[in-house]
Amino acid sequence: MITSGLIGALLWGVVIGCIYILLATGLNIIFGVMKLVNFAHGQLLMIGAYIAFTVTTALGLNAYIAVLVAMGTVALIGVGLERFTFRRVLGADKLNEIFVSLGLIYVFENAAVLLWGNTTYQISSPLQGLQLSLGQDVAISYDMLSAILIVIVILVALFLLLKKTKIGLAMRATSQKSNASMLMGVNIEKVYIFTFALGAALAGAAGALYGILLPFNPAIGALPTIKAFAIIIIGGLGSIPGAVIGGLLYGIAENTAVYFLGATWQDAIAFALLIIVLVIRPTGILGEKGE
Amino acid sequence: MQKKLIIVIAIAIVAVAGIVAGWQLTQLPSAEARPIKIGLVAGYQLAEGQDMDRAAKLAVKEINDAGGVYVDEWHTSVEIELVPIDTENDSPDNSRGPVTQAVEEEQVDLLIGGYTSSGTLTNQKVAIDNRVPYIITGASSSLVTRRGPQANYGGLPEGDPLRVDDAEGMSYMFHYCTTTADYSTTVVKFFNDTMKPLLDSTYGFDDSRNLRLAILYRNDAFGKGVAADSKSIIETNNLPIDIVAERNYPTDAISFQTDLTAIKQAKPDAVYVVDFIANTAEIIKEGQRDVGLNTVYIAVECCEDPQFYTLLGEYGASQLLESKFAPYAGPPYYVDAIGTYVTNYQQANDKLPGMMGADTYDAFYIAKNAIERAGTVDKAAVRDAIESCSLDQMLVLTETGKIQFSVGTDYHEIAPVTFIEQLVWNADAQECRSVIVYPATAPGVGNLKQADFVLPEGYVPGSP
Repeated sequence: MITSGLIGALLWGVVIGCIYILLATGLNIIFGVMKLVNFAHGQLLMIGAYIAFTVTTALGLNAYIAVLVAMGTVALIGVGLERFTFRRVLGADKLNEIFVSLGLIYVFENAAVLLWGNTTYQISSPLQGLQLSLGQDVAISYDMLSAILIVIVILVALFLLLKKTKIGLAMRATSQKSNASMLMGVNIEKVYIFTFALGAALAGAAGALYGILLPFNPAIGALPTIKAFAIIIIGGLGSIPGAVIGGLLYGIAENTAVYFLGATWQDAIAFALLIIVLVIRPTGILGEKGE
Repeated sequence: MQKKLIIVIAIAIVAVAGIVAGWQLTQLPSAEARPIKIGLVAGYQLAEGQDMDRAAKLAVKEINDAGGVYVDEWHTSVEIELVPIDTENDSPDNSRGPVTQAVEEEQVDLLIGGYTSSGTLTNQKVAIDNRVPYIITGASSSLVTRRGPQANYGGLPEGDPLRVDDAEGMSYMFHYCTTTADYSTTVVKFFNDTMKPLLDSTYGFDDSRNLRLAILYRNDAFGKGVAADSKSIIETNNLPIDIVAERNYPTDAISFQTDLTAIKQAKPDAVYVVDFIANTAEIIKEGQRDVGLNTVYIAVECCEDPQFYTLLGEYGASQLLESKFAPYAGPPYYVDAIGTYVTNYQQANDKLPGMMGADTYDAFYIAKNAIERAGTVDKAAVRDAIESCSLDQMLVLTETGKIQFSVGTDYHEIAPVTFIEQLVWNADAQECRSVIVYPATAPGVGNLKQADFVLPEGYVPGSP
């Protein structure tokens, strides 16, 4: 029987799934175009949350405008990261990339402790406490609703960027055959910088929304990164629609598990979903062979 | 005759001078005199650990400014040297190494601190093995003093890795903190004595209707301990309280909406939240803000910290906090010493103190008193002196009004007084402040209660 409690759990699953979608999409874009596995992607989410928090508290900016500031600032951080760390090791042994990104986890976490302290914060939203009733005993907060809408807008904008712009075309071409793209005149280095900045911006947006909905501290990045990896595997490596489906499935699965079985089953059920998907369809839901 | 008298007086003067000089020689400060090294075991990454550090620094400064600690065998007073022992987040993995270094390399004379039960159970092994007196001011698990033979291993089954067979080593452990049983007792008694009668009279419930309690706790020794103790106390005392929902979550959980949604379905009269500062504040906020679970939430004493009040904001209004130290419930405070401590702490740190630091602050005075009575820094003698401590209660209230360990037991615990605070929104501070609502009195204090408990605005009781 579908109870109001279950509907509430599903709604929260969709909201948290939306944050996973942003994170996983950024990770997926970077992997798809650059073939780079960035384990420090969750730390960009964390930095995004702190930047949004800082501009809302120090400048009094609206929390939802702070999402844009976080996206822009984290994108700039992404440019620096790509230029000064990953570019140096790109194309070399995969282990080098992995260890660089693992090292960055500690760099970001310690930098956050130095800059903001090891204190837990939450971003104050102008919509805090407001709810939209969806019927008897079921309601959704305006912050949750806003998060869903913002993710939809970002995903539509991303779709248009990839399908309708020259840089989007270059990114898609590079993701399919980077050498051929280069021969066709695509500036691969610029594509890489843009791709990494775009992926970082998505993580920044995820972080700002996370900070509006949930409390955060310098250690919050690790778990979402693991979940984002699981989501892109469920959805299919390199597939953005796959990441969307994977994110929603993951968020709903873990919250349904919490509702029926308790929170200790949250990760077990979600990763069981990953195994089931891989057994039935090893390339992920929308993945293609060879990706 | 006169000449003889002069000679006798001269001899007497020489003799007295010799005795005085000899006595003075024996009273010269010993060459062995040195500062007393006290290690503070604290997770400096945590708000609670930072509070402990600030409280320790305040106590050490006060003691040193007042002349230090007189050590009889050295014939002089010496200063306390605070040795920070940083266990980072106080997890078991990070806990043992720093304590080992402090004990074996820094050669600390005494340890004070400990925060999480799991971290303290790990790091106290170093003190047990090395016979270092350890005044444990955190860790709500009673196992920190009861897992040895003198407490029948705290009920742990044979073969349990937490059991400690070293009775002598365990005798160096002193628990200056409440246990999960202490505060669960206060919480369930509050529900029985105060909240149930108020619900019955407000909503016309029949006296036979039991209070409907939900417990939401972190899935670790701390959370499980509180849940088990609460149920046991309800059952043992046959209290009219039903546990209508019991849910736990992993320690790394970030969101609690789904658990709270499930709890809402169980229609409780109150939710007992067992976690540390950040998660407890988040649960209380999510419950009201996102889930619409407009009930009474009660948090446990480790949340008595400025960060908790800041994180809660207006969502803390009318909610409850079990505690044994209430820096937000004044001025005037229920004990003058708390007013002095709060003022000095604020002057030194520009912020209000938390509860973890209060235990720590007292512990430094317990250590000073013990060393002075022992007259030595010999660890066995200091242990014996702590064991026979009978100082007047300081910041933490006790059932006897005295700081006494092991009254009637072979293991070392105090008998603290715990109470229930209700948070009240303070528009000037833009944060909640608190008033004590239960119990009415405390030994050595008299009246403790500052206001009557009231149901929160918009409160929805559980099923009739």
